[in-house]
Formats: sequence, C-alpha cells, structure tokens
Amino acid sequence: MTTGVEQQLAELGKQNGATLGRLLGNGNLGRAEEGPDGRMHATIRIQPDQLVWDPAVLVMPHGGDIELELINDDMNTHCALLPSNGDSQFIWLVNHSRGTATLNLDGPGYYWYSSPTGNDEGRGLTGAIVVMGEAPPEARLDRPPQPRP
Amino acid sequence: MTETAEPYVDAGHAVDQVSLTFVAGSAPPVARSVTYERILQARSEPHNWLTYYGAYDGQRYSPLEQINTGNVRRLTPAWVFQCGGTGLQAGATTYAFEAAPVVVDGVMYVTGWDGWCWALDARTGQELWRYKHAVPFDTSLCCGNVNRGVAVAKGKVFYVTQNAHVVALDAANGKPVWDKTYGDVRAGESATLAPLIVKDMVIVGSSGGEFGVRGHIDAFNLDTGEHVWRCYTVPKPGEPGSETWPKEGEAWARGGANCWITGTYDPELNLLYVGTGNPAPDFDGEVRPGDNLYTDSMVAVNPDNGQIRFHYQYNPHDVWDYDSISEHILFEMDGRKVMAHFDKNGYCFILDRTNGQLIRVFPFVDRITWGEIDASGKVTPKIYPDKEGEPVHFWPGPAGGKEWTHAAYSQKTGLLYVPVQDIGATATRRRREFKESIPYWGAGVQVDAEDIAGSVSAFDPRTGREVWRWRHEVPMCASVLATGGDLVFAGAPGGMFNAFNARTGELLWQFQCGSGHHSSPTTYSVGGRQYIAAPSGWGGWVEGFVPGMLGAPHGAALFVFALAE
Repeated sequence: MTTGVEQQLAELGKQNGATLGRLLGNGNLGRAEEGPDGRMHATIRIQPDQLVWDPAVLVMPHGGDIELELINDDMNTHCALLPSNGDSQFIWLVNHSRGTATLNLDGPGYYWYSSPTGNDEGRGLTGAIVVMGEAPPEARLDRPPQPRP
Repeated sequence: MTETAEPYVDAGHAVDQVSLTFVAGSAPPVARSVTYERILQARSEPHNWLTYYGAYDGQRYSPLEQINTGNVRRLTPAWVFQCGGTGLQAGATTYAFEAAPVVVDGVMYVTGWDGWCWALDARTGQELWRYKHAVPFDTSLCCGNVNRGVAVAKGKVFYVTQNAHVVALDAANGKPVWDKTYGDVRAGESATLAPLIVKDMVIVGSSGGEFGVRGHIDAFNLDTGEHVWRCYTVPKPGEPGSETWPKEGEAWARGGANCWITGTYDPELNLLYVGTGNPAPDFDGEVRPGDNLYTDSMVAVNPDNGQIRFHYQYNPHDVWDYDSISEHILFEMDGRKVMAHFDKNGYCFILDRTNGQLIRVFPFVDRITWGEIDASGKVTPKIYPDKEGEPVHFWPGPAGGKEWTHAAYSQKTGLLYVPVQDIGATATRRRREFKESIPYWGAGVQVDAEDIAGSVSAFDPRTGREVWRWRHEVPMCASVLATGGDLVFAGAPGGMFNAFNARTGELLWQFQCGSGHHSSPTTYSVGGRQYIAAPSGWGGWVEGFVPGMLGAPHGAALFVFALAE
C-alpha cells in the first residue's frame, strides 16, 4: 500500500524544500461551524513564511452562506479571491491584517480560491472549499439507487 | 499562529470582484417589455435577436440586409469584448466560448464558461453588468466547461450553470431573482444549453449522457421559478417506449437521451421539438438490446404538460455516439409544415412536423460508412463496435457529420446551410461496470487527426440536392448565420470568420479572430447600424470534432463587426 506524497517526501509540504513552493492540496483540514440560523462560520489564516492557507481545505457540511474570518499572520502582503454565487469576492490582506468575507456556494463539490498576486497561487496560496451534501430531492433522477465508485 | 500584542490591521470586508472595474452595474430596462407574444413575432423586429435561434423556428435567419454581398468587404471590427478568467476553473483546458449572443433594444446578453453571464452595450461593447455563478471545480463535464446562452423575458435573463441550476437574473442589474437546481451533479448531470421561453415557462434540458444518467426536459414558471413539469426522455418500465429496453436490469435507468441543445417551437401546433442524445453506454449496445427509445430522436413535446406527443428516432440502438440533439429547423415547403434536421449520422431528415413522418432523407457529408439509410428511412448498420477489444473504424466519428453547432435556413434563397465535419474515428468496445458519476462509454475511442475535411454546404430541402459547397481543410464546427443581405456567415476552427454569398458559396470576406470558432454568431442593429456578433474561443470537445487542432490557441473574445463608417 502506498502512502501520501507528503508522507513519502515531507519536503513537499513546505516552502523551498523539494519544490520551490508548496505542492497544492497539502495542508491542514478544517470544518466550518454551523450556527442555529444555518449560516456557517470559519477562520482561515495565512501562516508566516509558509504561503499556505490554514486550513488549506475547508469543509462546509452543506451548501449555503458562510462567513469567513481571514487573518494574514504573514509578514508579507497577500489577498484572497474567493468563489461565491453572484461574483467572486476579493479582499486585500496586508501584513498582519484581519478581514471578513461572505460567500454563498451551492455544492456538492469543491471550489478553489487563491491569493492572486505575484505567483502566490503557485507557491501554495491556493486553497479548497469542499461543500458536502447531495442535490435536492426534487432535482434527482427518478430511478433506483445506483452504485457509486 | 502568530498572535502579537499589536492589533491586526483591519482589512475590511471582501468586495465583489466587479467593483474593481468600471462596470456600471446596471443596464437599461429594455427586457421588461420582452413577452412571449413579442418572441412569437421575433422576426418582425430584426434589429433584435430575441431568442437563442433568433426566432422559435430555429432558422438562424435575420432579414437584416444593410450588410450584403455588395459591401461585405468593408466589414470591420466595431468592438471586441475580452473575457478571460481568473483563478482555477473546472475544465481548465476545455473551456470554450459557445454562446449565441441575444440582443434586446441595444443591450446584449451573453454567457461564457464557468458560470459567467454578461450584459453589454450592443453598440460599444461596454460591460454593463455581470453575474458569476460559482461552479464546483469537480463538476462532471463530458465536453468542456461551456454554455450556449440565455433566454430573456419579462425583465429577466435566464441561463443554466454547469452544476445544473437554472438561474433567473434581473435584466437591469444582473442580481439573482430565483435559482433552482434541476440536475444531480453526483449522478454526473450538468447543464449547458440556452433556455427557451414558451408561454409563461422557461424550458431547459440536462447534460450528462456520457455518465449513464436518464435524460430529461424541465419547465419552470418564469416569474416564480416554480417547477411545472419534467419530461423524461427514457421511459420507465411500463411506460410507452419501455418495450425498447431490456425487461431485466436497469439499462433504462442509465439510458442517456439527454437534451443538451435548445428545442424549437411551433406555436400553431403547440409543439416543442427537442433532439435527444445518445444512449449509454455510448458504444456498447449489447448491454441494452432494443431500439432504446427515446435516444437519438426528435421528440415532439406538448409544452403545457411535458408529454411526448410523437417522435422520430434517427438512430435506433445507436452504438456510434450519434446524438440527435441538433436543432429542428421549422419552415414551410410546398404548403406543408416541415422541419429539417442534420443528424450526426451524416443524413439530413426532412420531417412533417404535424406528425413526425419522414418526407425525405439524404446524405450531407461525403464519407458515411457506419451504415446507410434508404429513402424510406430504413436504417441498416454495417460497421460498429461489436466484439470486445476489436477496433472498428467508421465515418462520421462520434462528433458527427455535423455536431451541435447549428445549420441555418434562408427565407430568401430557400436553402439550408450546414457546417460539415468529414472526420472518422476508431472505437474499440471495452465493457465496464456502471458506477454513478464515472464515464460510461463502453469503448476506447480515438478520432482521426488526419485525412479529415470540412465544408459549409448549401442544400435544397425540396430535392436534397447540394447547391454549393465551400471546402475547408478541417471540419467546420461553428453555427451558420444566414441574413437578408444574401450572406452566410460561418467561423472556422483556425479562427477565421467567413462571409459567403448565400446563392453561390463564393467566399466574400474573412477576418482572423485569433482563436477558433465553436459558437453561434448572431446579428442585430442599433441606431440603424447592423452588427454581426461572433464569439471566438476554441475549446470544448476538441478531441471529438478536430483532435488535429487540440493545440490551437484558446481564446476568450466576442468580436462584433459592422461596416466601416
């Protein structure tokens, strides 16, 4: 049985190790919290000198609205361009700054977001938002349950 | 985490990306007065292109004649709208600009890939507003991240998203009015077509035939988004047509027949004519013996209840991926209500649209080896993937003698104009187990990269005679536009946008747009000046229709041409 690339080559999960930047899709996983009103909340940070979103993969239990707190703990300026129905959401994140964003996402599926300045995106500041769940019952096919992979 | 004693700088709240542009965020409220009654008479206001095909009849013909055979050589770009994306998107390499721009009284509404919808000033190209639906990166897309356009009515713009939503936007500002999910992305469904307004409904169809889904057409109330009906294009056991599927097993439940291209509509007969897609698995017919209704068919649907009134199946028991989704062009011929359909199988069918009976069938592409269809419509297959692991080569390939891109019919010449793809493919049957959301082709397929050709061809529907042909070295795979100026426009894969004499096929004018055409050009006028709008952005299922051009430049531009002032 094989193991993940990061376990086999730990230097993929850091800046200027095996690669120049950090292999996309690696990093911590976090879960959004759901409030009593159904709105979701989460905090995402940029760690110093790591050029990675933390969590790098944020999981929403279902589609809907989410309030994000975005904290740049790095000693460089970054930004965020985040997916949302209507228009992508943009925010500058200067050194040691904190901002917020409101997103609306359908799911199920996952979405990439990034810091579109310089090549932050290639160095590691490309993160994923995973939306769990199923299509609403009224949209599904009228057929017996089918096998999934 | 680095918590310092120093408080964080307040970065504020994220803003819409559009706020970092000069886009006004509003458009003149011209769409308020677009009603069903007005769309019924769409051709009486030729300065507009009110609906996907220009009119319900699907002719893609405009009476506008300011640009004509005598002056088309003076055609020049009036403006260009560039719309390249930012960030990662689904189908990062397969995105393409496939839309047909709709124009209402000086405002253009057009969609791009990846959930984009724009309102533009049709005279200047200035972006007026935008809406961007967030599309999951992992949405199943058989044939690229594409969208074919909008419908407009009662102050709203309607379009579908790749993750199978139908969205109604306020046409004055692009803000969402309602949003409904009508497909299951976990089953492999998606959506790509331009909606059609019929009466008080917006009508859409599903994509996903390569993933073993069950095709359907849906109607929603255009004011409220309330779901009105769903019409499945594969019957359940016990329903009419179910006898064409195996009695045992669930082949019907994975049967395909997706309606991923906009239908046409005859208001007098109150019938919607929709083409259905391939059965699934595409190339392994042994797991689904029978004719497999209503795959590869024309279904005539009553828009009041979504019931199929009659049908005509072009490819019974298809094993070549010959979707019959292409348009049905409605016109009168010798006092008879007829419709023309160019099928992927290489034949053009002229049907009586009151009852679906065949009037005439004739080939429109040179090489047809999969089988033949005689004058009575009898289909005789000859070459098809049959034995496991044994490659077979056939023409046309799975992209067809004509793909989804549309033909046109000129009311002036009485001719049909079709973009032709003369390209074959090799398929090797490879049976696989069905698993929801995983491609379900039942074969390995490679389309020819050499020994290919294309044309724009003109046919007389009264005889089936080819009147003229403009030959091209690669398949032609963009929609044709016919105008009252006796012109036919068609873009080519290499980026050239061409104008032909509609009567002779003489090439009169060309412009190199820098990226290939796989879209539907339209025409309109503002302030008495006629424009031709041609989205240019090569991509989509290139490996299917011209794999020899998989390396051609991508693009993201809408070119609009007018006579030099």
